[in-house]
Amino acid sequence: MKLSISTRYAMCSLRRHLRRTILAILGIGLGSAVCLFMIAFVRGEGKMMLKAAAESGAGHLRVVPAQWPETRENDLRLGDWENIRDLVRDTEGITVVTPHARTEGLLAFGTRVAGVEILGVDPDIERQTNRLVRNIPQGNYLQAGATGTTVIGSALAERLDVEIDDLLMVTVAGADGEMSSAMLRIVGMAETGSEEIDSAICHVNLEDVENLTGRPGAADLTAMVANPKRLERTVGSLSARLSADYAVVTWEEIMPELASGVKVDETWTRLTVAIVMIVVFLGIMSAQLAAVLERRREFAVLSAVGMRGGRLIRVMLAEGVVLGLFGSVLGLAFGLPAAYYTATKGIDFTKIYGESDMAVSNILFDPLFKGDFGWWLIPLAFELALTATVLSSLYPAWFAMRTDPAAALRVEQ
Amino acid sequence: MTNETLVKAEDVTKVYDTGNIEVHALTGVALEVRRGDLMAIVGPSGSGKTTFLNLVGALDVATGGRLEVLGHDISAMSKRRRADLRLHELGFVFQAYNLVPVLTARENVEFVLELQGVGSERARRATEILDQLGLGEFADRRPNEISGGQQQRVAVARAVASKPQLVLADEPTANLDGENAEILLTMMRRLNREQGITFIFSTHDPRVVAHARRVVTLVDGRVAKDEIKTPAELKEQ
Repeated sequence: MKLSISTRYAMCSLRRHLRRTILAILGIGLGSAVCLFMIAFVRGEGKMMLKAAAESGAGHLRVVPAQWPETRENDLRLGDWENIRDLVRDTEGITVVTPHARTEGLLAFGTRVAGVEILGVDPDIERQTNRLVRNIPQGNYLQAGATGTTVIGSALAERLDVEIDDLLMVTVAGADGEMSSAMLRIVGMAETGSEEIDSAICHVNLEDVENLTGRPGAADLTAMVANPKRLERTVGSLSARLSADYAVVTWEEIMPELASGVKVDETWTRLTVAIVMIVVFLGIMSAQLAAVLERRREFAVLSAVGMRGGRLIRVMLAEGVVLGLFGSVLGLAFGLPAAYYTATKGIDFTKIYGESDMAVSNILFDPLFKGDFGWWLIPLAFELALTATVLSSLYPAWFAMRTDPAAALRVEQ
Repeated sequence: MTNETLVKAEDVTKVYDTGNIEVHALTGVALEVRRGDLMAIVGPSGSGKTTFLNLVGALDVATGGRLEVLGHDISAMSKRRRADLRLHELGFVFQAYNLVPVLTARENVEFVLELQGVGSERARRATEILDQLGLGEFADRRPNEISGGQQQRVAVARAVASKPQLVLADEPTANLDGENAEILLTMMRRLNREQGITFIFSTHDPRVVAHARRVVTLVDGRVAKDEIKTPAELKEQ
């Protein structure tokens, strides 16, 4: 393909001060690489946080009684929950559904007492979906139908000074306002490594919560989706299939603190990316402006022979595009390996913060934070670098366009 | 030379406002340039030669009076229309050659043709013009690879590539030695004679004056003398 003379002029002009051009490309490349790395890491971090929250019992979405979003009361129950569970399970995009019922209660063993939130579960599904009860170093997880049994966290067991097969007395407030008690045999102790979480785990069969509270049924149906990006669509199609007695809430409504945490992270990343790109932008603009000032005489001559301002702007933009293209490639060369490393090897936060608790608000995070990685990084690199270079070429181009040929030639003479 | 008027200046004034003082570069200039003229504008430094060329070349506009170039009132034209006039009807040759240093001689000529919208044949046309002016062997060289005289001849090739009616040359021989100045002037005379291109030179150089058919002298921004050479004088050239 034969390039137009204007384009050749733009290319050759970049070669004129090769060192400056290389430095500019290096600046764009490094800036883009930093941005790619940050965006990839924070995107991966966001996904990991959501996965951790979903697998810590919150799920991606929940079907709850219609009043729950306003009152957030544990006493509310879903009517006809088994049929609703089947309906949720059949919804496109949903991978797993599990029923939950919660009640506040007191656990007592001898003279020791602890207040906890007792979670009624379907043991067969809960063990697969809840990362808090994956590690049971002592005993086993609950068995379906084995009522009167419980799995508690290791820190809670320590507080109550209990062992496997010990009988705990549980006391809760019933539906009629009367206190209701029962004995629960400890069949397993879960350990997550987080003191906070291990002090709060108390799982029982759903039937036990029904019996203790006198309120039949599940309080919510917690569901996981295959693709969290399509959560809104899944929520929409599910809501359309449910009557007004039910509401569908997302993890963002269930855990607003986590949602705002993710948003704050994303905002900071955007801000940092913007700052980096502004620095790149100013650097390129300064280099381009210097190039325009050096070529004032040339622009005056080109204007004198009839080159219009529009074409002059196209020449400057062509230079910006070339810088941007090379900068994008360099950004990818630096940024992709870094993003790939964090996506595959991850960053071990225990090495930074020590073996500290990786739990926040009863969500158990992985200590190894991994970034995101994919083909999307390639167009992003081009978008970042080209946007910065094209925008930064506009002012020098405008400046070049405004060159008064008579004045510029008079000064040169 | 015909009687058709290409440039008509009536009481043209140009004042530069430098902030503190006003510089009167041209005052009441009245002049007509006819098709086929080979005209030299002479005068001491600061007499307004370059200013007059800039006005005729539509690079600048007069402060007062009326200047018509090829039937266009320059003061009434937009920047864009003036650029079009320069591109299609006028050619420029500058004192310091002013070729684009990163392009070859052929590309410098092609550039103007590209601006005119000439498509695939522009390379052939550029080569043809360079060959006609005896510059074929330098076509693929960049300005820094050829001499000053050759650069100025390429500048003339660029100026005439767009087939202009009028070429404005500002001190075209100022940086050339005697031999190169002679080659350049002979070339421009040939273009004037064979292609009917009208030339206006601003110059201090007696060699240029010797080649001109008409000599206009400017002093302090006014036309002090306007001489048309007699056939006998022309014969002597």
